[in-house]
Amino acid sequence: MNGTIPAPTIEYALLAPMLVVFGAAIIGVLVEAFAPRYLRSAIHKPLTLLTLAGAFVITIWQARTGIPTTPSAMGAVAVDGPALFIWGTILVLAFVSVLLINDEGHFVASAAAVPGSAEEERALTEGATHTEVYPLVLFAVGGMLLFPAANDLLAMFVALEVMSLPLYLLCGLARRRRLLSQEAAVKYFLLGAFSSAFFLYGTALLYGYAGSVDLAKINTALGSVGGQDTLLYIGVAMLGVGLLFKIGAAPFQAWKPDVYQGSPTPITALMASGTLVAAFGALLRVFWVALGGLEWSWTPIMWGVAILTMVVGAILAITQTDIKRMLAYSSIAHGGFLLIGVVALGNNQQQNASALSALLFYLVAYGFTTVGAFAVVTTVRDAGGEAWHLSRWAGLGKRRPLVAVVFSLFLLAFAGIPLTSGFFGKYAVFQAAVAAGATPLVVVGVVSSAIAAFFYVRVIVLMFFSDPAADGPSVVIPGGTWAVGAVAVLATVVLGVFPQPVLDLAHTAAQSLFVR
Amino acid sequence: MTSQVPDLWPPSAQEVVFLLLGVVALGSALLVVTTRQLVHAALWLVVCFGALAGGYLVLTAEFVAWVQVLIYVGAIVVLLLFGIMLTRAPIGRSAGLDSGNRVTAATVAVGTAAVLVTVVVQGFATAYTPLEPGGGAAATLGASIFRSWVLPFEALSVLLLAALIGAIVLSRTDIRPANPAADAGGPAAPTTPPHPPDPAPPPADGSGATAGETGSGRVSRDGG
Amino acid sequence: MEPAKIIEHSGGVIGVSWLLIALPLLGAAFLLLGGRKTDKFGHLLGVATAVASFVVGVLVFLQLLGFDPAERRRAVPLYDFIPGLTKMGLLVDPLSISFVLLITGVGSLIHIYSIGYMAHDPNRRRFFAYLNLFVAAMLLLVLADNYIGLYVGWEGVGLASYLLIGFWQHKPSAATAAKKAFIVNRVGDFGLAIAIFTIFTAFNTVSFAGVMESGADPSQGTLTAIGLLLLLGACGKSAQLPLQSWLLDAMEGPTPVSALIHAATMVTAGVYLVTRSGAMFFPEGSTAAIAVTIVGVATLLAGAIIGTAKDDIKKALAGSTMSQIGYMMLAAGIGPAGYAFAIAHLITHGFFKADMFLGAGSVMHGMNDEVDMRKYGGLRKVMPITFATFLVGYLAIIGFPLLSGYFTKDGIIESAMEYSSTLGWLAVLGAGITGFYMSRLVFMTFFGKKRWEADAHPHESPAVMTWPLIILSVGSIFLGGFLIVGNRFMTFLGPAVGQPEHLPSFHPFSVPGLVTLALVAAGAALAWFKYGAAEVPVTAPRGSFLTTFARRDLYGDALNEALFMRPGQWLTRLAVFFDNRGIDGLVNGIAAGIGGTSGRLRRVQTGFVRSYALSIFIGAAILVGAWFVVGNL
Repeated sequence: MNGTIPAPTIEYALLAPMLVVFGAAIIGVLVEAFAPRYLRSAIHKPLTLLTLAGAFVITIWQARTGIPTTPSAMGAVAVDGPALFIWGTILVLAFVSVLLINDEGHFVASAAAVPGSAEEERALTEGATHTEVYPLVLFAVGGMLLFPAANDLLAMFVALEVMSLPLYLLCGLARRRRLLSQEAAVKYFLLGAFSSAFFLYGTALLYGYAGSVDLAKINTALGSVGGQDTLLYIGVAMLGVGLLFKIGAAPFQAWKPDVYQGSPTPITALMASGTLVAAFGALLRVFWVALGGLEWSWTPIMWGVAILTMVVGAILAITQTDIKRMLAYSSIAHGGFLLIGVVALGNNQQQNASALSALLFYLVAYGFTTVGAFAVVTTVRDAGGEAWHLSRWAGLGKRRPLVAVVFSLFLLAFAGIPLTSGFFGKYAVFQAAVAAGATPLVVVGVVSSAIAAFFYVRVIVLMFFSDPAADGPSVVIPGGTWAVGAVAVLATVVLGVFPQPVLDLAHTAAQSLFVR
Repeated sequence: MTSQVPDLWPPSAQEVVFLLLGVVALGSALLVVTTRQLVHAALWLVVCFGALAGGYLVLTAEFVAWVQVLIYVGAIVVLLLFGIMLTRAPIGRSAGLDSGNRVTAATVAVGTAAVLVTVVVQGFATAYTPLEPGGGAAATLGASIFRSWVLPFEALSVLLLAALIGAIVLSRTDIRPANPAADAGGPAAPTTPPHPPDPAPPPADGSGATAGETGSGRVSRDGG
Repeated sequence: MEPAKIIEHSGGVIGVSWLLIALPLLGAAFLLLGGRKTDKFGHLLGVATAVASFVVGVLVFLQLLGFDPAERRRAVPLYDFIPGLTKMGLLVDPLSISFVLLITGVGSLIHIYSIGYMAHDPNRRRFFAYLNLFVAAMLLLVLADNYIGLYVGWEGVGLASYLLIGFWQHKPSAATAAKKAFIVNRVGDFGLAIAIFTIFTAFNTVSFAGVMESGADPSQGTLTAIGLLLLLGACGKSAQLPLQSWLLDAMEGPTPVSALIHAATMVTAGVYLVTRSGAMFFPEGSTAAIAVTIVGVATLLAGAIIGTAKDDIKKALAGSTMSQIGYMMLAAGIGPAGYAFAIAHLITHGFFKADMFLGAGSVMHGMNDEVDMRKYGGLRKVMPITFATFLVGYLAIIGFPLLSGYFTKDGIIESAMEYSSTLGWLAVLGAGITGFYMSRLVFMTFFGKKRWEADAHPHESPAVMTWPLIILSVGSIFLGGFLIVGNRFMTFLGPAVGQPEHLPSFHPFSVPGLVTLALVAAGAALAWFKYGAAEVPVTAPRGSFLTTFARRDLYGDALNEALFMRPGQWLTRLAVFFDNRGIDGLVNGIAAGIGGTSGRLRRVQTGFVRSYALSIFIGAAILVGAWFVVGNL
């Protein structure tokens, strides 16, 4: 042994979007350490936005210069068509969420101060802010980029943690209803750690089965290793628990309403869009690359999970009275719809591409709409912060028709009404599922869509056909939120009327499939 | 990875030591969850981790063994003990350490253990790998980490950095306004002269302790 | 003659005819997103996009004229709308370009007029944004080459109409009127949506060209059903019986809105729909076509009767609008012989009705927004330009010889006579009533003694408001003759909608024409004796049963209440019932358990992280078990 290690090959150009984000996060940390306090915010805001925009541009450039067909960074990361598409989506959604974060009044003045204490009072009057939010968001986004692109389970696990840990923290930083926020953070942290343990144990068992954590090698092992089925099944199930937890599929959905409700709304928007996209990317990669050959065994289970998720999400949403909890349950239900698309993956190449492109389109459509919806939630405010109770939204259509119309548009998109992006998302996913022979699942999907439409429409009715309360909430729309709303409306409408370019793009991305 | 299984009887010295270490780890783990003294629980944890480290050592993974000792015994348990001291948790016997859900918890634990043991036994009952010296040495591990696993490794460092920042965010109390007094535009700035850094800030754990005393939602709902 | 084939087109101005829609749409987006910063120039930008769209429209029209008549139906493909289902594209043909010119032309004038009318409104920019939005949606409605595109525009104009009727949110009546328009239109839109679904099922396409040329041969029943459903949609949008009730209330909106949307353009969308689908779903003599004529005649009489009793100047004009659209529907139901007259009347009506609405707005502008005609009187001296232009509109609508309305309405009556003499004579009767109520309106407003409120200081409106009036009144004088004499419009429109074998010739002295003139004169004379020569009481006298009947909009609201509102309230109550349960559940915690599955399920959500962890654990156990079972199957 001569004590030297041959240098690993790292395709820096391919990993550039991720590296840029991580690099900027570290610069953000340096800013925290060395820049004077009054300058930090002014540095962070452009830095974060430019980073995300730059990473997006690099992603586009990569997609145009050609998509590699082999994993990079010693097999840890696969920058393939779907990964690039998901990267682009996450970066845009993160950009939009950061615009929301930029607006004042979402984050706690001093996280360490006890809620309701004199210290907190002092921090508030002094106008203190936590500018650490920006590097934390960038860390989370970096994790989101790595998660769906990870080509082995170990890298995926690390990415999962990189993505989640900053989010656990950010959840606890809400300015209003701080106890709820802190509770949400602790819950998310504990349950997230719990589910990570499942993921890790699943990884260990799969390693025991296949002798490798590389996704492709696991798939090869499916055909060659015999007599170790127990290890395989339980490993896959545990891995599944970890992934399904992140997308909030039933029965692992319990954290979602509490966390979405308690978090600062811009962070909720980031989680509901970016995390969901990343988690679905990873789920697809694991189930298609590593477990593609095991499809006969996981499809029935996914059926069950998808049905349960849709039904639980749609039914529980009905009795919610907190607008953010309602959106959280709606997000659960949408997770179920997306799982229908996962079920539609199969052994047929063409079928896979169409299901994958449907899912990718759905993710884009849903991501924008959900960011927009949460952006609207931030604008309707009472004296004590956001007007979270649904009854406070009564008559908003009369007081602020534009805000109400915009919110209705998002709700209609969630419900999948034609001419909104949501319609084409559902249409594409359901179509793929029918082609894959999952018609009963589609029927359940349609029924839960109908149930879900009930509570979306209920909010619209409440906004337009109830009389506003005399002391109704005020509507404050800061500049960034304006832009977010505009972008989301544009995306929702354009994808609903003119979906072809994005469908084509998703199709091109899906055509190359995941690197196997 | 499977090769010819040699005779299991008579056991070799290595096997005997390994078994004994296993018994120690198991026993101390049980004591961790059954003792009524918090500090004792932490100390039993040291024993448990130590036994595990011994197990690694027997399996020729000496680097992992020392890491186990350094990180878990040296850092994490010490951190736990600090936590116990700083949060004013009761030292000595306390009845509150026993949960009312003992039966359920025991059932779940036994069930889980049964499943996992079954899995491992089913999966590896016939697997046998002869130990080779140096297989778990620092050189091999280092080469593996800095070559095949270099990207996850770097990502882990990012993770730790994020955790660090998070810890600072949650504990720091000396946060000053974003606009200094010099900025005339700041609304509240002129009334508050810039403070020098507090020489003795309130203890970082203060928030946790007082939150417990004020009976905040988090503590009451999660703990009781 | 059958409609001509549709040719794919590219190049020239027609190739970029999407600009027509894009320009006002961009204007609306810019003004809405720009926020208060664009307040200063918002109105100018709004006018600019409308005028620019008009210019494009004229250029498109000129290029279209350059083609052989049989090749004037041009499809401009834009993009694949729903892959494998339909492509989105525009259809530029004589029918749509007629609408384009009307919408952008009259629209531009009304935009200009609004600069003055809305000058003192703090939300003027928003108003122009909505107007632009409306123009874009309306243009999409008439330019789309398929039913789905049309539906998008259809809903778009509905939205713009809702926003504009309720523009003055602070007035509860405006908010209620907006809601009413919205809900009544839902009924019609629902019909249209189902019609489109049925069309897709029957023809497997929704494009006009596809339906026309598809080999599919659906049953007669299907065709009739589609026709009737389309008619339901048309009734909603065009305020035809039985969905007429929203139009009168819609007058709560600012007057330029009433002129543009609720007189000149949007309410004529139903006529467009029937004409556009005519060859496919309303063939001559079919059940659906007969239904169209009956709806038309019923509405033209109902609208006229409502018009006779209203004291609110805008509501009287709204009744008149209903009535005139009834004429158009009647003509559209007749078939190729009537299409040209329907559209020609639609265009001339767009001019003279917009003229009169804007005139009414000018009057209101000078009278502190007073709308009660009983408080007008003698205004011709203080508002000479308004009076003169209004007079032209008035003469045009009652069919004074050689003015626009004379030619187009007479054409409708003539073709109705040929189609069915009963319908024809009813239309003549309607013309007579028109003569009465329009004269009543003019006499009460401009003649007689001053009955003004004490603080009213009527004055002529600024030039930015009077010039549009003048231009519109010029159109009201000449346009009808230009279009009808020599069948100019019929031959122009022929390739798009089909035309009869024998072109009708214009008889100035036919029997129905003379009777019409006599009846109109009698009506005007009656009005003069009652409202011109005699005193008009400032408070409305208690009229006879018939007057009350007319004042109450022929009990249309009462009917709607019984048919739609009560069931609707029931549904709302049901929703509220569930709502209360949800809210109570949150408050009481226990009550949640009572309220159905949802309430029961949510008890699982205890808020304790340990319960959540347990649920995850159990879920994982189930998952592991399931995998095991499935794996070992």
